[in-house]
Amino acid sequence: MQYSRSAQVAIWAYVVVVLVLLYLPILPPIATSISPTGRQPSITSVSFKWYAQLASNPMLIESVKTSIKVALMVGLVTPLLALSAALAVRELKVPRLILMLMLLPLFIPGISLGLANAFLFQLADIAPSFWTILVVHVLWALPFAFLIVLTAISAFDPVYLESAYVHGANRLQAFITVELPNILPGILGSATFSVILSFNETVRTSLVQGPLNTVQTYIWSRYLQVGLSPQTYALMSLLILITLILIAGLLFFNLRKGKT
Amino acid sequence: MSQVRFARWLLFAAPILFICVFLLVPLALTFTISFWERSGFTIKPGLSLDAYKVFFSGVRLSVLRTSLGFAAVVTVLGLLTAYPIAYFLALRVSPRVSQTCLFLFAVPFVINPIIRNFSLAYILGRTGPVNSFLKEIGLIERPVDWLLFSDFSVILGLTLSYMPFMIYPLWLSLAGIDRRYAEASWVLGVPPVKTFLRVTLPLSLPGVFAASIFGFVGTFGESSVPIILGGLGYQLMGNTITSTLDVLNYPLAAAMSSIVAATMLLFLVLWYRMFDIQLFLGKITLRRF
Repeated sequence: MQYSRSAQVAIWAYVVVVLVLLYLPILPPIATSISPTGRQPSITSVSFKWYAQLASNPMLIESVKTSIKVALMVGLVTPLLALSAALAVRELKVPRLILMLMLLPLFIPGISLGLANAFLFQLADIAPSFWTILVVHVLWALPFAFLIVLTAISAFDPVYLESAYVHGANRLQAFITVELPNILPGILGSATFSVILSFNETVRTSLVQGPLNTVQTYIWSRYLQVGLSPQTYALMSLLILITLILIAGLLFFNLRKGKT
Repeated sequence: MSQVRFARWLLFAAPILFICVFLLVPLALTFTISFWERSGFTIKPGLSLDAYKVFFSGVRLSVLRTSLGFAAVVTVLGLLTAYPIAYFLALRVSPRVSQTCLFLFAVPFVINPIIRNFSLAYILGRTGPVNSFLKEIGLIERPVDWLLFSDFSVILGLTLSYMPFMIYPLWLSLAGIDRRYAEASWVLGVPPVKTFLRVTLPLSLPGVFAASIFGFVGTFGESSVPIILGGLGYQLMGNTITSTLDVLNYPLAAAMSSIVAATMLLFLVLWYRMFDIQLFLGKITLRRF
């Protein structure tokens, strides 16, 4: 069944309107951060002084370091757990159970997840640290990473593994030489996505960070204390741009994969 | 051989153990702590219903009701917005166009919702672009107050934050429907609207239910939107939990958090019993395991 031309136009217009509504909030922080006053967006005169001031804020620098360390570690740990879970779905006899467990963090509100872990660490006498932040970030990223890796693994036909076994490879050899190269793009995609999610997380982090700060919780605590300052707008703009660059990287990678 | 077997077992068990230790155990712990007693600034093990009594007798009960109501409204608004998009992308455009659009919907989702909502607060504010524009075209004389720090702004913020996420389960279930069912219905002379209502819509229910849970989960536990877009004193479950933590009433915070988590788990169990999650994910995983 084909739609009439006007119906087509109407539906596309609707999709575009929703997309515009979703993308619109990305612009004002950027336009504000480059304005000389730093309070209202400006398009006539441009200033980067608020960005320059960021570099001289020691508390912020610390939080940036924490954010980067956590994000890199999340990008390393999450895909490995996701890969292992995705393989378990295929190899173990309880796929439904594993699927449900891996997707569970999606269904628990951030505040409950953060608070629950805060209680766990408190009772286990584990002081808030880089590691406690890492745990909640991995929990948050794991369902997404898992779905990405699962998709990659499902597109791989296990008959190739059989062929490797016939030629004398053991399970590990067959996995590393035959399957891994095939699903590597999926694993790298899940790593990038995990980094993006970690870099944009606030609520879960704020409950287990103790004296530490990530960039996101730094912004949130500044907002609660003094409201939004020009420097905060600059910081938010940087975070948006970094996220967009990471997504562009992901997209570029996928397009190249699609061509070969 | 037994060592290899153990290593294999450990590899597969690692993610499951991770979820158990850092999600299931902590949630059970939260539930336990909700029955503990306060002593000064600390808590001690006990079997007290104080937290629940305080919760169900105070103003916080109305916060729960408001939160449930908001979560329902936002879920319905999200479904109404997302379903036509998911339907269109799943059944009416080429896979390439649909992939591109799904990707475009994912981008704003990964940018921290807190930053997006700060921005929304500016857009809706007294001196923001919406009010300026309305004044410019002469529709209003003074800035409209209810745009920000109101139920309107909170619901708008919640919907914009969580609606994109609802498109995916809807798309997944719609794209997985065998088109021959709908074609058979047309061949039998059933008009398109009726075909949709009696064939396509029922077949997409697993996705509708999953999307509803996603919308509900986000909205029900959201703690930053009521602060940013609701303004001073605006309370939903999420930020009431954080403000309870600020006054160190841990059992009460644990009780409220347990109520939120239990509601979500209840929905999840319902979904798990009613629909086949493997079949549901079968579309992206291309085949059943």
